[in-house]
Amino acid sequence: MKALSAGLVVVAAALASPQLVRTASDRDQTPVGIAKPWMMPRTADGKPDLQGTWNNATLTQLERPEGSSLVMSADEAARMEKGFSERVERLSEASDPNRPAPPKGGDGSTGAAGNVGGYNNFWIDPGDRVARVNGEYRRSLIVDPPNGRVPTPTPEARKRTQQRLALNKGRGQYDHPEMRPLAERCLMSFGSNAGPPMLPNYFYNNNYQIVQTKDHVMILVEMVHDVRVIRIGGERLPKQVRRWTGDSIGRWEGDTLVVETTNFHPMQSFRGASENLKVTERFTRTGPETILYKFTIEDPTTFTAPWSGEVPFNRTDELIYEYACHEGNYALSNVLSGERSRETREAERKKPQQ
Amino acid sequence: MRTTAFTVLAGLVLLAATVPVRGHHAFGAEFDPDAPIRLQGKVVKLEWVNPHAWIHIDVKKPDGTNEVWMVEGGTPNTLLRRGLTRDSLTVGTELVVDGYQTKDHSLKRANGRDVTFTDGRKMFMGSSGTGAPKDGRDPVDGAKKPPPPK
Repeated sequence: MKALSAGLVVVAAALASPQLVRTASDRDQTPVGIAKPWMMPRTADGKPDLQGTWNNATLTQLERPEGSSLVMSADEAARMEKGFSERVERLSEASDPNRPAPPKGGDGSTGAAGNVGGYNNFWIDPGDRVARVNGEYRRSLIVDPPNGRVPTPTPEARKRTQQRLALNKGRGQYDHPEMRPLAERCLMSFGSNAGPPMLPNYFYNNNYQIVQTKDHVMILVEMVHDVRVIRIGGERLPKQVRRWTGDSIGRWEGDTLVVETTNFHPMQSFRGASENLKVTERFTRTGPETILYKFTIEDPTTFTAPWSGEVPFNRTDELIYEYACHEGNYALSNVLSGERSRETREAERKKPQQ
Repeated sequence: MRTTAFTVLAGLVLLAATVPVRGHHAFGAEFDPDAPIRLQGKVVKLEWVNPHAWIHIDVKKPDGTNEVWMVEGGTPNTLLRRGLTRDSLTVGTELVVDGYQTKDHSLKRANGRDVTFTDGRKMFMGSSGTGAPKDGRDPVDGAKKPPPPK
């Protein structure tokens, strides 16, 4: 019993002071209560060790409203985080057990829930904190251009979009499995989760595992189990070889891993980008719990200017679970058979009365 | 207060006002807004799979016969990280579900817009402070939470 209460005191002290957690394991070398300065962990070949499981979920959005500043005050960040946690509490409250079916004609939801609602909030696990970089609370992940917005598309990009729409004219979005989005077909991650750039999806499972050797860095993305192998100092693939998540070549600039990716698969179009898309990522281990992930997007045939962002990746002790998307993907067949069924009903409704 | 999946997703949309929120699929493409449904019945089977979990419940129809309905949920991975597994919801548990039927009416499937026990409690609790990684940390301020608002 005594041992148990002593243990509880240790746990309580550890919870109260994260600094003590670190010193407790090294108490032979360091006086209790004094934190040792953090040392960059390194692999056998002396490079910064980026290995482990990381999470990039956050409340901070990619873009921010026009006219707002990149940095918000600590008060504003606290309000945002409090607002989020209160919303979760609210959504956990009980419902009326005798509630009727929802309204006919839809419940007015927008976005992914498209007028039929989605599912309960307890399934969802987005970020619950404002992104912090260099001690600043950030209002957007984009840091350049200074307005925190994705630059406007070029006339050429607009023309490409028009041409694509014209090509698909007369073909319905539900006419063929290949007309459906990549995520629905379980081919690629939600949004740009796998990237590059690796952006949070604001829904769930924003987890990454990094494994590193002298010549390669592997990034496993939980959704949808996408793996990217970065070759350190490798030679670029021929221009016509285009792969999911592109062709990534890395190099070390001091203690920062710099990765340049081109040769994206034509179907993995990041925000309407063309085959000329180049994404440069910079991974810097900034502490025991953090990698600062910076990215720059360049595609002069799509965006009127290059643009860059910063996303904190935070260490997690959680496991990455397999996201075997095909196994339970009833949604794709439900969407397609649903449309056929709707067409039949429509045709019957239009049939002249006997 | 009545809480619905509508408020869940409306909230999410507000939260993510500047980026297109993409789920695995658009719910409006799969379910029929003109076919709202309320289901009550006991769990007969759980498919704890990705991209979406499916809960099978046995529903008694007005004519006295029974029909098994499949109810679509979210990813089980987030629940696993909170220690909730397929065994956390046992076969035989009675649930109340409201949602919309698939556009293919022959399927007997619906989205689990709001899934509760028969006393109205949510099947599980939300994710805040329940093991979600503490994102947004920065080495400058360690793992400190920002001060409470004034």
